[in-house]
Amino acid sequence: MATSREMGGLHAESHASHGSAGHGHGEPYEPVFVGARRKELDELLTRYPTKMAALLPALWMVQEDRGWVSEAAMAEVGEVLSLTPAYVKGVVTFYTMYHQHPVGKHFIQVCTTSPCNVCGAEDVVNAFLKHTKCGELGVTSEDGRFTVIEVECLGACGFATPVMINSEFVESVTPESVPDLLSKLT
Amino acid sequence: MADVKTINLTIEGRPVAVAEGTSLLEAARTAGVLIPHYCYHPGLPVAGVCRMCLVEVEKAPKLAPACATSVAEGQVVHVHSEKAREARKGVLEMLLINHPLDCPICDQAGECELQDYTFQEGRKDSRYQEPKRFNPVEDFGGDIMYVPNRCILCTRCVRFMDDVAEDPVLNVSERGDRAYIGKFEGKDLTHPWSGNVVDLCPVGALLSKDFLNKARAWELDRTASICPNCTQGCNAIIETRDNVVVRMRPRANAEVNSHFLCDTGRLDYRWMNGQNRLELPQVARGTALLDADWDVALGAAAAAIRGKRALVVASPMLSNEALHLASRLVRITQGKGTFRVARGPEAPLPGVKDLALRAERAANVVGAEMLGFTKTDTPFAGVGAGDAVVIVDHALTDADLAAVNQAAAVVVVGTTLPVGLKNVAAVLPIANFSEEEGTFTNIRGRVQRFLQAKAAPGLARPSWYVLADLLGSLGEATSYFVPSDVFAALAASHAEFAGLSYDSIGLRGLPVLGAAQPAGGVT
Amino acid sequence: MGYPHTPHARETVVLSKYFGDRDAIGLDGWRKRGGYVALEKALGMTPAEIVGVVKESGLRGRGGAGFPTGMKWSFMKPGDGKPHYLCCNADESEPGTFKDREIMRWTPHALIEGCAIGAYAIGAETAYIYIRGEFTEPLARMEAAVREARAAGVIGPNAMGTGKRVDVWVHKGAGAYICGEETALMNSLEGRRGNPRIKPPFPAVAGVFGQPTTINNVETLAAVPHILNNGADWYKKLARPDNPKSTGTKLWSVCGNIAKPGNYEVVMGFPFKDFLYDLCGGPLPGRKFKAVIPGGSSVPIMTMAEAEAAVMDYEGMVEKGSMLGSAGCIVIDDAQCMVKQIGRLARFYAHESCAQCTQCREGTAWTTKIMERIEAGDGTLADLDTLLEIGDNMTGKTICVLSDSCAVPVVSGIQKWRHEFEAHITGKRCPFKHAAAA
Repeated sequence: MATSREMGGLHAESHASHGSAGHGHGEPYEPVFVGARRKELDELLTRYPTKMAALLPALWMVQEDRGWVSEAAMAEVGEVLSLTPAYVKGVVTFYTMYHQHPVGKHFIQVCTTSPCNVCGAEDVVNAFLKHTKCGELGVTSEDGRFTVIEVECLGACGFATPVMINSEFVESVTPESVPDLLSKLT
Repeated sequence: MADVKTINLTIEGRPVAVAEGTSLLEAARTAGVLIPHYCYHPGLPVAGVCRMCLVEVEKAPKLAPACATSVAEGQVVHVHSEKAREARKGVLEMLLINHPLDCPICDQAGECELQDYTFQEGRKDSRYQEPKRFNPVEDFGGDIMYVPNRCILCTRCVRFMDDVAEDPVLNVSERGDRAYIGKFEGKDLTHPWSGNVVDLCPVGALLSKDFLNKARAWELDRTASICPNCTQGCNAIIETRDNVVVRMRPRANAEVNSHFLCDTGRLDYRWMNGQNRLELPQVARGTALLDADWDVALGAAAAAIRGKRALVVASPMLSNEALHLASRLVRITQGKGTFRVARGPEAPLPGVKDLALRAERAANVVGAEMLGFTKTDTPFAGVGAGDAVVIVDHALTDADLAAVNQAAAVVVVGTTLPVGLKNVAAVLPIANFSEEEGTFTNIRGRVQRFLQAKAAPGLARPSWYVLADLLGSLGEATSYFVPSDVFAALAASHAEFAGLSYDSIGLRGLPVLGAAQPAGGVT
Repeated sequence: MGYPHTPHARETVVLSKYFGDRDAIGLDGWRKRGGYVALEKALGMTPAEIVGVVKESGLRGRGGAGFPTGMKWSFMKPGDGKPHYLCCNADESEPGTFKDREIMRWTPHALIEGCAIGAYAIGAETAYIYIRGEFTEPLARMEAAVREARAAGVIGPNAMGTGKRVDVWVHKGAGAYICGEETALMNSLEGRRGNPRIKPPFPAVAGVFGQPTTINNVETLAAVPHILNNGADWYKKLARPDNPKSTGTKLWSVCGNIAKPGNYEVVMGFPFKDFLYDLCGGPLPGRKFKAVIPGGSSVPIMTMAEAEAAVMDYEGMVEKGSMLGSAGCIVIDDAQCMVKQIGRLARFYAHESCAQCTQCREGTAWTTKIMERIEAGDGTLADLDTLLEIGDNMTGKTICVLSDSCAVPVVSGIQKWRHEFEAHITGKRCPFKHAAAA
């Protein structure tokens, strides 16, 4: 199944960055950096000599709160850190872990780089695609619960095959253990 | 100031001596050796990403990027050794694998650095068999469009907007071979200096919509000139095809505009091709104006002026030469010389010292003032019933018309005929600035030459030529054959211009005496 | 999360002594096990003294470059009036490598201690631990440990009551292998795209935030407290008698087609054959080893003949045609297809290229496309020459070595397993795929 394919974009549902959608369903944008999050950011800013250095941590806060980083959020982060939205976007599109679109409730990332590949990682991918009914990499299942993508080396090669589900790190996944793993997800 | 050490090295067998800290690439340039490059540009911070400028340095284990490597004493550098050429050939091959075969439809053809270096040193054929990467064309807003398929990711455009325009609206998006130049939705490339990214782009990825598909690079005639649209006096190149101006581009001058031209200067050239031009001299017959010979028209003009005070209202876009002769006209009639200049918002380019689109939108305001013309918002005020008004290519408002029509006689020396004038005795057609040679004096008192880029229409003659003939018809001694003669006369009679000549000014310009201070009250 | 194995008798556990010991994770438990004694000692020494000890020990960078650590520290000029910084490189993304995660999961305070000593030794008041964003558990453990250590006054504005400031902060990455390159790490820390920088300037002159900076790997810093506690001589003795250039122990991350994958800590110079067959249990049932990549995917692939004759230190690996690198040891058996795996590695590099340098940006993708076409049965013999030439164009010509790293498995693969490539080409199919596959 994981046969020769185009050198795809790095992000789920990519061809993303050309004029992506707004932040939701037409509702006004609610800022992230208010209240507790603002305080958290302010504390973080004391650790670095520049505001720009808080960019990656700020983007993580956005993704933790909203599940993804919208263009409106990029503009807010830029405003808060005195950076242009274009600059923030250039950074967001560089790093694979920031989602530029909403993804499934359970974002499943399977490592298929060679150390795991020789241990059957592609079979694990296929098992996830089958049991989540996603059918295709990077496409969210119809019920919105799952998105499955391949990722590069997760740094757990001795525990093949490692899988991340959102930020949860699961080791030693086999095709056989996939259905059980999925059954524990809401 | 500390003494800068001199470093001696050898480049392509030539001995080179440059200041410590100079890059190999710039050192090679002083020795007349061009090291092929893309991402490097003398007006931008060094990036070192294209890898085209790799040179072989004896005793060094790896090839060195010449733009990012400083000279060292005793270095022996080879630009055209086999290793260096193979490396460049490799870079060119890599740049072409995803590059579309667009040359026949690409504006950059003929002035494309990818074409040039590939032709010189690249492979004759491609061995790439895989599908090419594809992205659709983008509108970046303003005058700029972006063709991602042709982009070689040299990042000159991003560095220009970041570091010179200080308006980071462009980014590199994504990673690896998926990367492209991006911007944020709704934030367009409308900075008043953003057109420079088109010049900076070595290939046809960033294009001017204004110039799109208008002309081929090899059809263009290029003339050294000065942008006439404000007092900064940016050095420019006027490009024409079949006697029509089709493009304005910057000419590098470290003292004035670095390598850049603002969008106003770049895009406001169509007036130079205006079709409603005066092509023949005219004289009044009753209430009509009839075409006439030059001699007849000059005679009529002189007759209208003789014995009267002349109010000479002269455009601040006229050359020093024309204005010098016009000021003589003022003197011999004990008259007055005035002008009005249009204004607009100032737009600095923050990354370059003392460079801006200036508020006063004409090139020779300083020259006009130095030559005795008074800047005023009402240049035609105080015209007496017995006065002559000589309008030298100056625009007129309705209020101006009311004042002018009080005069006993009006002589028009211009490129177009203002509507609504009464009492016009003679009309003398002249060339516009792109059709003649002359000098301007910029906001910092720098005198700069511009050359003739195209032919004037009909029987129109250079402005200085016509004014000299008019003075001659009024009995003045004039014998100017070429504009440099007029300039010599100007320099002889005005202390600030003393010692300057066309030869000494050359194409880089020179400041007038005492030019350290900004002239007048302009900032 | 997985537990490490019980150490093999022939391992030399120094860094991994408390892997699997849950009580070692917290501050109290760590202190009971001798933690922070070295830091206290260090804060009473001069920075120059500490640098001297580390230099003498022969400790070399454990992230992959193997640069002598003491020498790297000595590049930081004391008393220049500029803020100095220490960055700990916990971006561990080299395929095959998973040792730093264990150090951080099981002994987070060991890393904090190493960072604090390192920071003090280079005149820095601030150390950042840059941890890749995917390392959920190490991030959580390190953040908790930093909070504990600050609360206890071990680090912070008044480290261990000495009046000296030593701040250690955790900084989370966001998914980019290239951020493990030291200058790209600095750019990422600054809030930029993770692009490597041209050198000069070198980090010790102008690094993060334009200030003098040293970047060290997790394993390198974790070794420092042990060196201070036990002395440089002790560390030097952990070496081959005839090779004083490689000293100490190394954590080897073993993975792939092998019976007992995991992290193993052995003395420099351990025989590789014994390691693979004895400690790591040899091949899986019914299989034979075919190839080994000893030091993470960026080092040349070894044949079994080469590997079985090699010793496990920096020079020993080079002698047999490869490198120690990060010691991320990927083992490949005879059921695997070299063409497919090399193509998969090329795809890894193509994904991770930052896009700055022409040869890397285009070359990694081109290499991948050709490899995948060969794997699919559509290759030609000319493709092999093209791959080698592309590899040559990608080597020694770029800002960083990601480009070279992509070429390495391709070149060593074609050199040593040309027959597999040719079988794909002449047979127009992958001989290892099951017949039923599409």
